[in-house]
Amino acid sequence: MSAASQFWRSWAAVVAASVLFAAIAMLQVRIDAQTRPVAQQKEELVLSSGPMLQKISLGYDSLLADIYWTRAVQYYGGKLHDLSRDYSLLPGLLDITTTLDPHLLVAYRFGAIFLSEPPPSGAGRVDLAIQLEERGIKANPDAWDLDANRGFLYYWHLKDYAKASAAYLDAAKNPKAPHTMRMMAARITEKGGDLDTSMAIWAQYFTSSKDPRVLKTARDHIEGLQALKDERAIDALSQQYHAGFGKYPTSTKELRDAGMLSGIPLDPTGIPYIIGPDGKSGLDPTSSVIVEIPPKLPNEK
Amino acid sequence: MSSMASPAAGSAIGRPVAGAIPGVVAVNTFREAVRDRILYNLIFFALLMMGAAILVGQISIGIERLVIINLGLSAISIFGLIMAIFIGVSLVSKEIEKRTLYSLLSKPIRRWEFLLGRYTGLLLTLVVNTSLMTVGLAGALLYVSRHFERGDASILLAVYFILLQLALVTAIALFFSCFSTPVLSTLYTIGIYVAGVFANDIHAIGQFTRNPAMEAVTRVIYYLLPNFHNFNIIAVASHGEAVPFSLIWQNTIYAALYAAVVLIAAAAVFSRRNLK
Repeated sequence: MSAASQFWRSWAAVVAASVLFAAIAMLQVRIDAQTRPVAQQKEELVLSSGPMLQKISLGYDSLLADIYWTRAVQYYGGKLHDLSRDYSLLPGLLDITTTLDPHLLVAYRFGAIFLSEPPPSGAGRVDLAIQLEERGIKANPDAWDLDANRGFLYYWHLKDYAKASAAYLDAAKNPKAPHTMRMMAARITEKGGDLDTSMAIWAQYFTSSKDPRVLKTARDHIEGLQALKDERAIDALSQQYHAGFGKYPTSTKELRDAGMLSGIPLDPTGIPYIIGPDGKSGLDPTSSVIVEIPPKLPNEK
Repeated sequence: MSSMASPAAGSAIGRPVAGAIPGVVAVNTFREAVRDRILYNLIFFALLMMGAAILVGQISIGIERLVIINLGLSAISIFGLIMAIFIGVSLVSKEIEKRTLYSLLSKPIRRWEFLLGRYTGLLLTLVVNTSLMTVGLAGALLYVSRHFERGDASILLAVYFILLQLALVTAIALFFSCFSTPVLSTLYTIGIYVAGVFANDIHAIGQFTRNPAMEAVTRVIYYLLPNFHNFNIIAVASHGEAVPFSLIWQNTIYAALYAAVVLIAAAAVFSRRNLK
């Protein structure tokens, strides 16, 4: 066979293989179109038993735990993206992950957030989140931050200040825990859910994580609480203004002109607050700050 | 083993000194493995590590280091097991198939010396392969976390335990290859390996039955099987936990004793085997 004919044969083989692969890809697209609705209906955990998976992993259970954790993160991310309220597989995925590797702290830390956040940001299952943290504490007695997270869940979601304070005290018992844990417990017992306590708890959350998603959530909450604190201060001044001038101010500029403010107060994104006809302050519609009403003090109106 | 050097490596006259022949066979077994491109699996390992190092941070949360350690150690273990089993079962059969064993045994080489040499040679290959993969794992870990931590020393211990496990599996594969075909030897070795991984469960099943006879049988099986569960500290290493020193020496002696027993059995079977 001549060199030229060998060259052309090789090229023909490459072209033929390319054409065949293109045909295979087109065929796969058609198969996907047919099977996707079926696949979407069958969203379930085929193997739902952690201990069983541990056995069949042949000793590679820690690697399997990483895979299941990644699957849980992907599942949560997918639901979050679709604004879905059905997080039914999440508890199972987290249970398998932590059974396969009881020391995978990240699964307790973030898993509790995924479970506790209200829908559509999470499963809204604070009870399961607390159970997960408790399992984590049992398997990792040194991980004081899991106790702190449990305290956070009682404080923020369940508004059970007694249990929140007890959880922070449990965290404080660990010699590695920062002294702020004991302060946090005392503060919750004393002041319950006031704004400063809420901000301190979110600040603790902010400093305990390096993950950008958690940092953003904590930052959003801190900014929201700061805005709420500012609004309450402006509302109080607005009432004073009304008492003095017989009408509500229309803007914070009027409060400043009246000498009640030294400057124009800005929200955490740098936009001035607005004041409504009823004298109540609020965020400018263009502001990206999200204000969430925090748990109230028992004696707070 | 066509490139086998002269057995007269130990002394100038007569039989070479004790230990010289297995050494020569071992070195040639290693050379043969290198020539057979066995170490090419390192390329796949490197790609796996690089892919994991880049991808995991994108699709998961907070487990970049853990994945690199877990995946790296699991891959070292799996690649090593594949090599130990598939090369181990062919150590003897290949020589018989190629008829090189007959010319070899016509020289002043005892059968047990040949077996020990083949075993040591494959072990040497596994040590080199595992060491290079460990370097790759360390590189990937450094890429992901930019520094080593004090607890990372347990990764080296996990690698050492994997090597102990591979030494045992190689001995078992070699034992079966002394009297069976490569396919059957592979199945037997995998069977023993899986049973060894489940040794604790076999023991537990006997206790669950509350039947004294069954308990006695499962206890005997438990102690007879090689307990591969002993050597698995991947999860411990990935979390940087300390490994007790007693476990290190106990596992070392366990593996050495078990491998010695299996190799003696293999030598006994091979010495009696009719090769005609």
